[in-house]
Amino acid sequence: MHLKVKAKNLSYKINEKKLFHDISFELFSGKAIHVQGDNGSGKTTLLKIICGLTNQVKGDLELKLDKKICFLGHKNALKQYLTVEQNLSLLGVSDHQDLNKHLIEFALNKSLDVTLSNLSFGQQKKIALLRVFLNDSDLLVLDEPCVGLDQQSQKYLCSFINNELTLGKSILFSSHISLDITSEVLNLNK
Amino acid sequence: MNIIKYELLKLRSKSRGWLGPILVFILIMVAFPLTIEISNNDLGQSFFSVLWIAMLLVMMLATEDIFLEDYNDGSLDQFAISNINLSYVVAAKIFIYWLLIGLPISLLGSLFCLGMTNSIYLASHILPILLVTSYIFINVFSFGNALSLTKGSVLGTLVTLPLLLPLLIVLGKVVISINLNLNYLGFVGLLLGVLSIIIFLIPLIISYIIRAHLE
Amino acid sequence: MIKNFIHQFASPKTYIYQVDRLYPYILYISLTIYLISIFWGLFLTPEDFVQGNSYRIIYLHVPASFISQSLFMAMAIASAIYLIWKVKLSVYLVRSIAPIGAVTTFIALISGSIWGIPTWGTWWVWDARIVSTLILFIMYLGLISLHDSFSNHEKADKFLSILALVGSVNIPIIKMSVEWWSTLHQPASITISNKPAIDLVMLYPLFGSMIGFAGIVTCLVILSSKLQILKRERNKSWVKNYA
Repeated sequence: MHLKVKAKNLSYKINEKKLFHDISFELFSGKAIHVQGDNGSGKTTLLKIICGLTNQVKGDLELKLDKKICFLGHKNALKQYLTVEQNLSLLGVSDHQDLNKHLIEFALNKSLDVTLSNLSFGQQKKIALLRVFLNDSDLLVLDEPCVGLDQQSQKYLCSFINNELTLGKSILFSSHISLDITSEVLNLNK
Repeated sequence: MNIIKYELLKLRSKSRGWLGPILVFILIMVAFPLTIEISNNDLGQSFFSVLWIAMLLVMMLATEDIFLEDYNDGSLDQFAISNINLSYVVAAKIFIYWLLIGLPISLLGSLFCLGMTNSIYLASHILPILLVTSYIFINVFSFGNALSLTKGSVLGTLVTLPLLLPLLIVLGKVVISINLNLNYLGFVGLLLGVLSIIIFLIPLIISYIIRAHLE
Repeated sequence: MIKNFIHQFASPKTYIYQVDRLYPYILYISLTIYLISIFWGLFLTPEDFVQGNSYRIIYLHVPASFISQSLFMAMAIASAIYLIWKVKLSVYLVRSIAPIGAVTTFIALISGSIWGIPTWGTWWVWDARIVSTLILFIMYLGLISLHDSFSNHEKADKFLSILALVGSVNIPIIKMSVEWWSTLHQPASITISNKPAIDLVMLYPLFGSMIGFAGIVTCLVILSSKLQILKRERNKSWVKNYA
């Protein structure tokens, strides 16, 4: 069990107003942390700090990763005017061996040449989630991954994440609804 | 290499992104002689001014959402997190925009020059200048677009337009030098020198700006 | 070690208190120097052989244009300090110099136009140095509008400094424009290497007026920077004691 992420006394301010302060945690391989908090408590900001997109105002952050980070935020990072297949090639996952398996599970294997804008919100989210399903990283950072998914897909996602945990990856996620993932809780409310 | 392929796929598929500016350029260059009497022999002199201004405006138009779309749908976040150097991504994007918009416009501009002045000498000498100038324009306007990524592109473009005005002054001198056949290579060298500095600096600066926006 | 040195002087609070002490001296000394130079230049120097009396606007035009270019270089240096060492006071200075620089450039343009009427017969001509100075004016305005359009101050500061640095390439273009392109505007009369092209009798009030004008502009920058600091640091406790 290796230490992947070590955060000590992280705090963040916007325009001199404190968002959160003195957040500390340690994330080991094969473990998950569920970030909880009210709206506006800084969950997305904390996840972005871990990814390196934002810099914390105070505190230390140490990342010991062998591979890269896989991040899925509120935005899908997909192109609306390209087809599903072209989007998958942009993601770099076209030749992945498990691609078809997940597509069948999501019922999208027949929609490869549909333009993305013609898919529903939930279907687009599933395509975006393929980035997570076919990831090649040892730290997954997910910001509200189950938004827009139906019950069956939520269960599929949770079982996939639990499987990733057994493979030794670390997961950091935020969610308002409770998910069936074995995880510690990190609460950002004051 | 993959990045360039991906950017090419993205821009190629978004036909309004590259076809639009080319058509606007053609429109301006075709409309220009209509506003001047046919018997007027000064057509040749004012043609070049219209050419530079048309290229300036069309490049401004073309780079209006070079980063905006990727910013809005989260692709820039993904690039910033990945192992790939963000300035390389920016440079690839700018290169593809030049390939699909700047290059055709330079060829068309040179053709229009041929049609307007009936001189192959002029048209062939103006082509390298057009190629280099369009690349410089795209770089500087991308810089402006990146600065005001969240506030609409007009502010950034207006703010960086003053940086290009000295270039326009040089371009005026270039046309004279072609006509009089003096020091042409010197000007080409100057423009290439400016381009070579810009081509390295601007992607670095833009990637810094984008990271600041993503915070 | 340099970091410690800079951070020692970089506290806005120390800056304001020090500057408050020096401000009256700078103001009165520079006003005196400038008024004396103007008086000397306007009344005590002889007429120019070619231009008659109209050359006297040199005592306003030359300091204004020189200072406006120097202010932009100062902004560029302060921006570099901010980007490298993250000294907040630096970027407050950049933001406070911008409006003063804009006004100084405007004075240079207007006084140049007024000078142009008797000498060149026209109040505006599209030559390289004049257009580059106009570009400088627009850049000052662009800097101000860019900074004020962002509500997140850290982002706004970063963009302001980047734009100030990138825009500083315009300054060498202005300075060299008179040499690179043969233009209507006269070349520099005062260079480091050659003998001045202007008569010594007119040179001394010119120097005096440059120093005086520089001092007055410094006072304006001090006032503007105090405003910026108080505005940005208004939540700190020392500001409540100060005001």
